Amino acid sequence: MREGLVGLEIERRGDVVVASVTGELDIAGASRTGERITEAVPTSAVGLVVDLMELEFIDSSGIAMLFGLARSLGSRRQRLTVVAPPGGPVRRVLEIVDFERAAPVHADVDDAVAALD
Amino acid sequence: MRALPELFDLRVKARSLAYLFTAGAGLGLVTLAFPHDDAVKEPQLVVLAGIAVAIAGLVYLAAERIRAWQLHVVLGLGTLILTFANYYVGQSSLYPLMYTWTALYAFYFFPLGVALGQVAFIALCYAALLVIQDPASPIVRWLLAVGTPVVVGLLISRLLERTGVEAGTAEQRERALRQSEARTRLVLDSAPDAFITLDRDGIITTWNVAAERMFGWSAVEAIGKPMRGLIVPPEFRDRHDERRRALIEEEGPVATEVFDVVLERRDGSRFDGEATVSRVVVGDDVILSGFMRDLTERQRREEERDELMRAQTARAEAERVAEMMSGMGALVDAALARPGLDEILANLVAGVQEVLGADAATIFLADEEGDWLRIGASSQGTPPTSVDPIPFGDGLAGRAALSREPMFAQRPDPADLRDPGLHELEIDSLLAVPFLARRAVIGVLEVCASPPRRFTADDLGMLRLAAERVALAISHARIYEREHEIAVTLQRSLLPERLPDLPGLKVAASYRPAAAEAEVGGDWYDVIPIPGGGAGLVMGDVAGKGLAAASMVGRLRSALRAYALEGHDPAMVVQRLNRLVWTEAAESQMVTLLYVVVDPSDGVARWVNAGHPPPLLVGGNGRPQFLEGGTSVPLGVMPFPSYEEKSAAMSPGSALVLYTDGLVEVPGAHIDDGMARLAERVRDAPEEPKALCDYVLGSLIPERGAPDDVALLTLRNVPMSDRFREKFPNAPDALASMRALMRRWLRHAGTGEQEVAEITTACGEAATNAIEHAGAGGGERFEVSGRMHGDEVDVSVRDFGTWRPPREGDQGRGLSLMRALMDTVQVTPTPEGTTVRLRRTLRGSGGNGGPD
Repeated sequence: MREGLVGLEIERRGDVVVASVTGELDIAGASRTGERITEAVPTSAVGLVVDLMELEFIDSSGIAMLFGLARSLGSRRQRLTVVAPPGGPVRRVLEIVDFERAAPVHADVDDAVAALD
Repeated sequence: MRALPELFDLRVKARSLAYLFTAGAGLGLVTLAFPHDDAVKEPQLVVLAGIAVAIAGLVYLAAERIRAWQLHVVLGLGTLILTFANYYVGQSSLYPLMYTWTALYAFYFFPLGVALGQVAFIALCYAALLVIQDPASPIVRWLLAVGTPVVVGLLISRLLERTGVEAGTAEQRERALRQSEARTRLVLDSAPDAFITLDRDGIITTWNVAAERMFGWSAVEAIGKPMRGLIVPPEFRDRHDERRRALIEEEGPVATEVFDVVLERRDGSRFDGEATVSRVVVGDDVILSGFMRDLTERQRREEERDELMRAQTARAEAERVAEMMSGMGALVDAALARPGLDEILANLVAGVQEVLGADAATIFLADEEGDWLRIGASSQGTPPTSVDPIPFGDGLAGRAALSREPMFAQRPDPADLRDPGLHELEIDSLLAVPFLARRAVIGVLEVCASPPRRFTADDLGMLRLAAERVALAISHARIYEREHEIAVTLQRSLLPERLPDLPGLKVAASYRPAAAEAEVGGDWYDVIPIPGGGAGLVMGDVAGKGLAAASMVGRLRSALRAYALEGHDPAMVVQRLNRLVWTEAAESQMVTLLYVVVDPSDGVARWVNAGHPPPLLVGGNGRPQFLEGGTSVPLGVMPFPSYEEKSAAMSPGSALVLYTDGLVEVPGAHIDDGMARLAERVRDAPEEPKALCDYVLGSLIPERGAPDDVALLTLRNVPMSDRFREKFPNAPDALASMRALMRRWLRHAGTGEQEVAEITTACGEAATNAIEHAGAGGGERFEVSGRMHGDEVDVSVRDFGTWRPPREGDQGRGLSLMRALMDTVQVTPTPEGTTVRLRRTLRGSGGNGGPD
């Protein structure tokens, strides 16, 4: 599924939902993408992995979306994990805003899923 | 006896005779030189020779004017001289033999009769000589015994011959006379007119066959009867007698008079006739000869001729009408072939004028309410706008419009002439016929004739016919024009009014409608900003023309924009469009389409070609090259064709040219030639896209316009420099374009990929702020500019709204991101807007440079 510059794929791995976001995440697509991910996570799920391995760009709007996800999942007692390639531009932004205050950032999707299980 | 043609002229004969005499005299003298008898009387012979020579001299000298009978006499004299010579010579000589000479001469040169006469004279002379010299010689006896009957016989036969000739001549004359009479008779009998001769007393003496036919009396019955009682009606008999007597008593040899007469046939019927009567004097007698002509016959013939003339005139008229009808048909066809009502009207006026042979023609058009007329077109070239509206009822045309009836005016009042161009003409007759469409008067057709041409009521029919055609043509033209206007409007609305600003790219387009083509074509082009900074270039051509094609263009344009903005690959976009055309378009709808996506950040053009002429890529080196390949079938011909995407590098400075076939298809020339010519022109053209379009169209499209619509679209990948300044719309979608440009610029400056990402992120934050501010009453755009000072990157993002202090949350996060990523962040709010200045000294140049 792709909308504008943002691509989104949702996958269930047992009790964990994996949402892979591709493209460029900015103010044009951030909030809509956030909503769709939220809709894709049932209350029965243990947690959500947001896969940003293929994401080319993220700005403060994308970061805001991620913080938003962390907040809403937290209120449902579900956990959030983000995956981003170390050294890449997305990881750099996550580090600048100190995202790990809100959710752990992994370098591999499988690790992230395992951490939630 | 038939005269032989003269073999020799008299001159030749005379000279020959002179030679003969001279030779004879010479020979005679020569004999005297020889020893001879004493009996020979030399002096006499010498005298004779002298006489002969003298005669010869005379004849020779007079040869030019001598006559035939004189020659005969001279020859006779020769014979006499010979005879005397023989006498003086005596018996013992050869002189008699010389008679043969004269005889031979006679036979040679004279007609046989004359020659025989000469021979007879010779015989007589010789015989007389012999008798004188020796009457007792046996030769004389023989001569007398044989010669006498011969001479007598000759004389008798000559006499008989003469009488025979005379008798033959008389017979011939008589025969000729008979033949002449028969001929005269034949001529008279074959004459169409009656020929009658009368004697002095008016008794008929000649009555030819025509007379028999004309009056019903045979020649046998008529001849010998008085004419007055036979064919002259009783009341005219006295007049007949009077005229007859007057003619006979008239002085002079011949008198001829012509009378109109009334004559009576055997059955008592009468007819008008014409008599040509001559008085002829034959010896002492006087007769009257006359030709009678039956005028009823002539009258009948004249009537027949008139009838024929009328029939011919009618047929000619019918042919003229038929010709005019086809002329009218052609008139309408020809008129409708012109674009625009004005031209159609002008054509109609010229056509009507020609077909009707009018000296001037005007078409008045009614307004929609049916109150006023205005001039639509005039053969006199009156400009329609130069005349004030003519109220219905005014002038001949106005009256025709008001009454809905044709109007006719002979020597019209000047007030009736509402076309000012007519005032220059001398007008004999003026005809005005209203023409209607859907029961409303839509105009008036007026024609006028100048002397000697004159319109009559008969011409009204033709004018009505013409008016009907004109009405038809006008209503067609109006419907057509309306549809054409709609189609043109629709098509114009489908072509982008202005092309989007694309960072780092420059686009220009031109559209030229066909010159003579009345219908709009289905050409269209579009430029779609692709999220992420790319540009989608569309060049398409819907087969067909007019409204249908234009509306198809509309649907395809919207669909393509939607698919493109959804982020589909070019091939997928085209496949979806094919689906649309295949399933929804009218039968046999076919569309050619070229869709190219240019991504300036990596300098790549990706294209899909659905049956369209290939795009032309002008590389950085200025060499044009057609992007062949990736071509598949046009849209709408197959349900599931495969559309393949091809790509080519578009280095900075290179340009892409898209066009419709109207630019390369020249009637009569191969399309390859058209493409080669296009490549040539593009190579010579200026770099700047707008100038390139103008140059190419200007040099390829003829002055009077192309035969087909032509669309041309050019995109140039503008090379980057140390500085840039670009405006973007205040919309979230613009952010991606802005970032694409920023990356491209930074890579061009040799910035490493990590720093590119970081600076781009910071600029994105600044731009996001700018867009947010726009909500607070800012302008429609924000501006990004960049400069390189050595290693330092200096970027400014400027908006035209009001600065709002950072709130908690996202915006504060944006500012902190900028500060984390850049060396300095400087925010300068002013009443006109806010400028965010971002600066950073590059840590490492070179690095992972991009394609730039």
